Amino acid sequence: MYIMYSLKLAVQSIWREKWINLLSVLTIAAGLFMITLTFFSVYNMDLATKKLPEKFSMMLYLNNDLPEQEAANIISTLKKNSAVERARYISKDKALEELKGVLKNADYVLEGINENPLPASIEVKLRQESVSISKVKKLAADIKKIKGIEEVEYGEQFLNSIHSIKAGAQTLGLLMISIMSTGVIFVCYSTVKIMFYRRKEEIETFKLLGATRGFIRAPFVIEGGILGIGGGVVSLIGTAALYYTLFYKLALAMPIFKIIVFPSEVFIALPLVGLTLGISGAIIALGRIRFS
Amino acid sequence: MIHFSNVSKIYENQTALRNITFSVEKGEMAFITGPSGAGKSTLLKIIYLSEKPDEGSVTIAEWELSKLKESSIPFLRRNIGVVFQDFRLLDNRNVFDNVAMALRIRGMTEYDVKERVMEVLKTVNLRHKTDSFPKALSGGEQQRVVIARAIVGEPTVLLADEPTGNLDSDTAAGITRMFKEINAKGTTVLVATHNRELFRNTGRRVIKIDNGAIVGEELG
Repeated sequence: MYIMYSLKLAVQSIWREKWINLLSVLTIAAGLFMITLTFFSVYNMDLATKKLPEKFSMMLYLNNDLPEQEAANIISTLKKNSAVERARYISKDKALEELKGVLKNADYVLEGINENPLPASIEVKLRQESVSISKVKKLAADIKKIKGIEEVEYGEQFLNSIHSIKAGAQTLGLLMISIMSTGVIFVCYSTVKIMFYRRKEEIETFKLLGATRGFIRAPFVIEGGILGIGGGVVSLIGTAALYYTLFYKLALAMPIFKIIVFPSEVFIALPLVGLTLGISGAIIALGRIRFS
Repeated sequence: MIHFSNVSKIYENQTALRNITFSVEKGEMAFITGPSGAGKSTLLKIIYLSEKPDEGSVTIAEWELSKLKESSIPFLRRNIGVVFQDFRLLDNRNVFDNVAMALRIRGMTEYDVKERVMEVLKTVNLRHKTDSFPKALSGGEQQRVVIARAIVGEPTVLLADEPTGNLDSDTAAGITRMFKEINAKGTTVLVATHNRELFRNTGRRVIKIDNGAIVGEELG
């Protein structure tokens, strides 16, 4: 029943100390905006690295004297592996033809070569979920054991790079989000602590009149929550402005911005994240209330 | 109702109370008197759990204070109305809100709060001052606001610490009359005062305290 009264006390307190509270809201908003930017960057990087495996393939170079029938047998063996999406045989002649296609006007480099030097090969396309360092390494080792395969090439460095970029971005993002969240909690903590000390005498009177811990804490927790939501809403306005600038203004001049994905859930999440961090800061600030 | 058994309280090598044993019966109105620094306020503070005794035991109604859980303290305090020596009025709240505070902490609805506060303000003759702030009131009016706040929750015990401290004799007499009326309704009243005028010819029990110890008892 005292929630409405606590809400009234919280609003009164915010209004009474409006400048310090406004400053807190803006600081929280800045922190939440930074969190959004970090999340936004990690999210897009994650999406980009998820798309890279689509381009990933393994090349299996066959022994020079391997009959085409043997190659067909190898392909059917490969297709039985759940990690393999498709396998394509590339004959020596086809390989040369493709090389010429790639070289185009520079095909003079092949002049003077009488015999086709390229080996026959099998191009293996893996299922996206199987494109991970450990899985690919194991698959390559298994394939290499198949009779008739001379060499397996799969761009180990490329895979390692993707993995490192992804892991690095996630770790850095998580670190940034943790630091910023701690900062936001600290701002709420400090603000509520100041309010608490300013009303210390009043709180002592409340205690002597028989107020419970819940009654004493409630206005401050609500105040922390309101500051958090306020910060969330202000950062949402900032984020919306950024969204508008990126997608409607900059994208016209630089189409690259069109490929950036902006999850709309962020707009709902920001005030909620603010609320959670604000309440957390307030609860930490209030600590244990003693009656004697 | 209130029972002290061999209670002692020591503040940094200074004994505030020594071996205090006394009882106040349910519905009784009693006075504790003694010079300043005798230990009157400390004794009251122990009753409303603002201080803990170092020795001895205190029982209020069925509650043995040393065995009381901290989370139960607010609920005991709601049964004890206190007229504080320093008033403890909130300067940024008007008379109505200062009195209503004692009910709001109990989670009472605003409708009930308003009805009860107005009733009590009428009792203490302050209905016309509901919107005034404490600083705009005289000492006697402030004292009556504090009394209103102490009795609005219909406590079983009313404690008053030097309730007429800075008041003139007429106002002091009015305050004493008010305590008698509250007591007549069944509330146990314990008044700590150094002002002998307050209990003279009241026919009430007066417990004399000096240097932290009970030194006598008489009828006022």
